[in-house]
Amino acid sequence: MTKKRHINQIIESLPPAIMSGQETVDSILQKYPQESEQLRPQLESISWLAEAKKGLEPRQGFIASSRKYLQQQIEILPRLNYWQRLFKRFTPQRWVFNIAAPIIVVVMLALVLNSLILTARLSIPGDPFYSTKLVIEDVQLATTYDPVDKLDLYIEFSRERTTEFVELVLDGDYELLPAAANRMETELIASLNAINNVSEQNSKTALPVVGSFQRTLSNEVSMLNILKSTSPISAYPGIELAIEVVKSGVMALR
Amino acid sequence: MPARLDKDHELIKRAQRGDTHAFGELYECHAPAIFRYLYAHLGSQMDAEDLTGEVFLKAWQSLPKYTQRGAPFLAFLFRIARNALVDHYRQAHRQESKSPEELDAYKDGSKLEPIDQIGNQMEHQHILKVLGNLRPDYQSVLTLRFISELSPEETAQIMQRSVGAIRVLQHRALFALRRELGTIGQDD
Repeated sequence: MTKKRHINQIIESLPPAIMSGQETVDSILQKYPQESEQLRPQLESISWLAEAKKGLEPRQGFIASSRKYLQQQIEILPRLNYWQRLFKRFTPQRWVFNIAAPIIVVVMLALVLNSLILTARLSIPGDPFYSTKLVIEDVQLATTYDPVDKLDLYIEFSRERTTEFVELVLDGDYELLPAAANRMETELIASLNAINNVSEQNSKTALPVVGSFQRTLSNEVSMLNILKSTSPISAYPGIELAIEVVKSGVMALR
Repeated sequence: MPARLDKDHELIKRAQRGDTHAFGELYECHAPAIFRYLYAHLGSQMDAEDLTGEVFLKAWQSLPKYTQRGAPFLAFLFRIARNALVDHYRQAHRQESKSPEELDAYKDGSKLEPIDQIGNQMEHQHILKVLGNLRPDYQSVLTLRFISELSPEETAQIMQRSVGAIRVLQHRALFALRRELGTIGQDD
């Protein structure tokens, strides 16, 4: 143990004895002659403070009489009911903070989430948020239980894949076209399966949807053909694959 | 110490339910320490007595806000006492145009005999003079640790420092006080 630490321990342990008068500076220094030089100034200060404490004690009877007076003063203070006590726990500023802080946090989170969803929805294959877009679509499908609504969603996502494909061609990302065409095919198959499910249950409901989807696919074939005629040769394989996918969809609907 | 804390805990719960007798017991237990702390900073015993009452009245009014999971009750009281002292200094500053005799005029009602009052006042003035020449943080640490007899942990909570920092501060403050006593001894 270092000398400094030893002195600190003595100083920590002895004040109560000095304050109560059990020990004096000299009696302590006799016990620790080696450290007397270091201990003396601190012990003398403590001894002086012990004397000062005596001079600062309240006058006799003050505590007892002032206690009575304080209790009387408290008694005449207006009593608070439950709600007043509850509201008194916090200052008005604290209440405002307690209410405003969670609201601000929720609003901020909602804004961030909303902008994330919006960015994801506008993304096309190759964008960082594209996988988020696919997850959002899966969640939408998983939370839609009505078969007709589900069919509408499948058709909407199928159109979305075609739109993405067109955007990829316009952006010149030709290397991504085969993968995009495959996704178009997957979505189209899912839409056709959904149409089958709905027609098995109620053919009258499915009929207008089938007609509309068929027209959409036919339009898409024409649009893709025009796109092909205006695109460089390197884009042909991808576009032709997409045309085949859409045409097979039209055939299946017939 | 834990026994005192347990007793405080029980009394505070009762006081928070509106039991004035329980608060009276808390007052009797802690008022001497608060009084000594205030008197070590103030020039008049009457001011220290008035402020002690004020501190406990404010404590009663703030009791619904007090949560026992936080700082100990004594730290809560000393924070109120520090704020009361600051307010008192501000008020005194505004009234400083008054002479000391005018400020002490209301002391006539004191129960002390005039001769005791003079002796006591001189001793007190000496304490104030010595402590007043120290740095404010030295003054606080010495008053809290040795005049109000708080533990290093309680002092640390009131002064919002670590226990280690309080020990270092106390060590320096004791040396500074010894030097100050030496200087005053030479002057006298």
